[in-house]
Amino acid sequence: MDPPFPAERGVDVYNKKLGMWVFLASEVMFFAALIGSYVILRFGAPGEWAKPGVVLNIKITAFNTFLLICSSVSMVKAYAAVSDGDIGKMRFWLLMTILGGACFVGIQVFEYIHLVERGFVPAGVREGSELAEMVAKGELPGATMGLYGSTFFTMTGFHGFHVTCGVISMLFLYLTKALPGKYTQQDHAGIEVVGLYWHFVDLVWIILFTIVYLI
Amino acid sequence: MTTVAASPHTGHAHHDDRSFVSKYIFSTDHKIIGIQFLFLSLFFLLVGGILAMQIRWQLGFPGKPMPGGGILPQTMAPGGVILPEYYLQLVTMHGTFMVFFAIMLLLVGVYANFIIPLKLGAHDMAFPRINMASFWSAFVSGILMLSSLFVADGAPRAGWTMYVPLSARHDYSGVGFGQELWSISIIFFGLSSVLGSLNYITTVINNRAPGMTWFRMPLSVWALFITAVLGLLAVPVLAGAAIMLLFEQVLGTHFFDPSAGGQVLLWQHLFWFFGHPEVYILILPAMGLVSELIANGSRKPIFGYHSMVFAIVGIAFLSWIVWGHHMFVSGMNPTLGSSFMVTTLLIAVPTAIKVFNWLSTMWRGNLRFHTPMLHAIGFVTMFTIGGLSGIFMAATPLDMFIHDTYFIVAHIHYVLFGGSLFAIFGSIVFWFPKMFGRMMNEAWGKVHFWLTFIFFNTTFFPMHMIGMAGHMRRLYDPTIYEFLRPVQPLNVFISVNAFLLFAVQIIFFVNFWWSLFKGEKASQNPWEDNGLEWTLPNPAPHGNWETPPTVYRGPYEFSAPGVTEDYLPQNRKLPTDREPALSPAGH
Amino acid sequence: MATTTHKHPPYIMIWIYLAVLTALELGLAFEFARNWTFGLKLTLLMILAIWKALLVALYFMHLKFEKWNLRLVALFPLPLVLILLAAGMSEHIW
Repeated sequence: MDPPFPAERGVDVYNKKLGMWVFLASEVMFFAALIGSYVILRFGAPGEWAKPGVVLNIKITAFNTFLLICSSVSMVKAYAAVSDGDIGKMRFWLLMTILGGACFVGIQVFEYIHLVERGFVPAGVREGSELAEMVAKGELPGATMGLYGSTFFTMTGFHGFHVTCGVISMLFLYLTKALPGKYTQQDHAGIEVVGLYWHFVDLVWIILFTIVYLI
Repeated sequence: MTTVAASPHTGHAHHDDRSFVSKYIFSTDHKIIGIQFLFLSLFFLLVGGILAMQIRWQLGFPGKPMPGGGILPQTMAPGGVILPEYYLQLVTMHGTFMVFFAIMLLLVGVYANFIIPLKLGAHDMAFPRINMASFWSAFVSGILMLSSLFVADGAPRAGWTMYVPLSARHDYSGVGFGQELWSISIIFFGLSSVLGSLNYITTVINNRAPGMTWFRMPLSVWALFITAVLGLLAVPVLAGAAIMLLFEQVLGTHFFDPSAGGQVLLWQHLFWFFGHPEVYILILPAMGLVSELIANGSRKPIFGYHSMVFAIVGIAFLSWIVWGHHMFVSGMNPTLGSSFMVTTLLIAVPTAIKVFNWLSTMWRGNLRFHTPMLHAIGFVTMFTIGGLSGIFMAATPLDMFIHDTYFIVAHIHYVLFGGSLFAIFGSIVFWFPKMFGRMMNEAWGKVHFWLTFIFFNTTFFPMHMIGMAGHMRRLYDPTIYEFLRPVQPLNVFISVNAFLLFAVQIIFFVNFWWSLFKGEKASQNPWEDNGLEWTLPNPAPHGNWETPPTVYRGPYEFSAPGVTEDYLPQNRKLPTDREPALSPAGH
Repeated sequence: MATTTHKHPPYIMIWIYLAVLTALELGLAFEFARNWTFGLKLTLLMILAIWKALLVALYFMHLKFEKWNLRLVALFPLPLVLILLAAGMSEHIW
């Protein structure tokens, strides 16, 4: 992490960390396109939007939200451990984070399968499905279900993709750096940097959970 | 590329025993990556040019069999006669290849990579392996885009702006898998662009040599830095939009489908929110490079260096709030449209500041009309014309009449060809010795410039006129319209000159390739320039400097008092210079 | 890296805050705000969500303790997002 050569004073933050923050700025714009489209489409929707909790399973997702928040805490505890010099604790908390993230993705996949079974797909509501009957009975607003499906799967799908990439990265670092003891109190850039990414992913989910599931 | 290996490495280089593959194929050296981008992008410039020639054939000689058209499939051009389905692919892919794979890669992929570490006094980029990933991502993107021309039903036909619903519905456009390939290619391109941007930004912020303060950075680096910020924040929006388009195409989503509550204008807002910063990505690096060429050719410091920097920042800042001027006739909210008109007119101000500063730099300079300088002056004049036509478009009431006519096409090509491409040609000639250790032929360079300049103007200036007459864009056969028949002779004139313009590029092509192998060996600083890169041997060695140079002054100390030469490199210490302030553990 | 020797922020406290705020959100959405207007619920839920996001950004991502220039990098995209949203939404208010 120490600089290999003298340079002008930049922002007093080492390259990998600055690079990750810059990357996260671009990720904000990426999610802004997807989430912004959802907001714009829902704001201008031609009719009522489905009530929260009718299509999506709030209980499981609330647990999932809590799980992701916990994994953020375990991530930051891993970072705190290594900056205090406790490599064993760092390994433990990093492993907890990986498990938490993997469970999150697993639960999301399970949710997706369940939703598709009930008839909720990116194109909206599948004909002849359980949800289609609810639309026919007027329990769900047919006019906006197409938008609902499109936005839901795109936003949560890409968020899930980002979580998966995070889990894979952390697993890679765990196996190649954390376990063999390559991180030290002085040199643990990877933990801090992957931690930033992980917290960002959690942050996006905090927003998503509220505006997709609760409103 | 073999000349890079053939040139002698001096004592500056450290021992380099990498294999051929890791030196030239999967290289992490920013200079090699820049050269890789150069070859990739010149190839796509050629592809875009060939597509343009076919467009001009159809417009000049509608319905006539095209020479060489026999090799095209019968479904696209039976007997060499271009069909409307094929014509629309031509205009779409010409725009796509030129914007993304030619100009963006030439300006950013080549010069951001090649120049930034050299001009900052750094060993390499902050993240060399991410740099390599950025190139290969762009390569994959290019292959995917190229392949869309060869799949069943061919390439997309909705224009490079891919407006929905034409681009989203196979039954409307008649395109098959080619449509999806465009979206997937753009997603890879977006990845490449973001990876590159984060590299350039981090390097400029953190990897400057001691003494290279922000306001001692060359304008090319400033421009590339600001461009990287624009790209970092705008390109992900395009990626998001392309993903939504892809899902519309394959998953049956309804983002842009009015019958299910979607919004057609949503695509246009997302696309142009990216698209307008994109066009500044296509011009700002060119402006930065031109500043280098003009200062060098005038043997004078750039006039108003600080205002040049603030103008770049101002242009970039305003570029986020002008995108609606591409949508004046779309049926958007009129109040929103008016606010876009105001901001668009405003953006002319920092741009004009730059033009006046270049002119003032040249004023009473000790002018050297070498090939790069000719191209730089060509840039200033042609870009000014393009910018002036832009003022017309900024005014919404006027744009109502000229939107989607050839007036717009004229504007685009004056700023992108007359602007960006001239800057690129000049820069290729200027930094050729740094890249390859040899000089391009100066005489043929001048011939190429003048012929290109003449034919460029004879090709694109009349487009203003036919556009004013109402000639629409992306039009297959102008002769079916009574009101366009009087301007058809101009169409023929334009086409003939376009063919000549394309033919003249052979001079550049031959000059480039011949000089790679047989060009005159370059001295260390053949242009007598101040940039830090010229303190290294030609071609620059792997790792650039053993120890980073120390910088004592700004980058434009031409004709400085107190030295015998008319240039004064940034790292040359004079008795009156002080060491830069010691920075705490630099990065 | 910036070797600040300050004590770590109270991560467990932040975790509890986040859990409480999440519970509040769930309650607002489904329990005690059944008769409140959509606009009011939306505003309150957004406030809670942003509060949670700020906690993560400031404490977990350490932004509270970083220099202003790093915070600028993080904050820079936000006005752009707002501009995009404002423009897109304005299509429906004319």
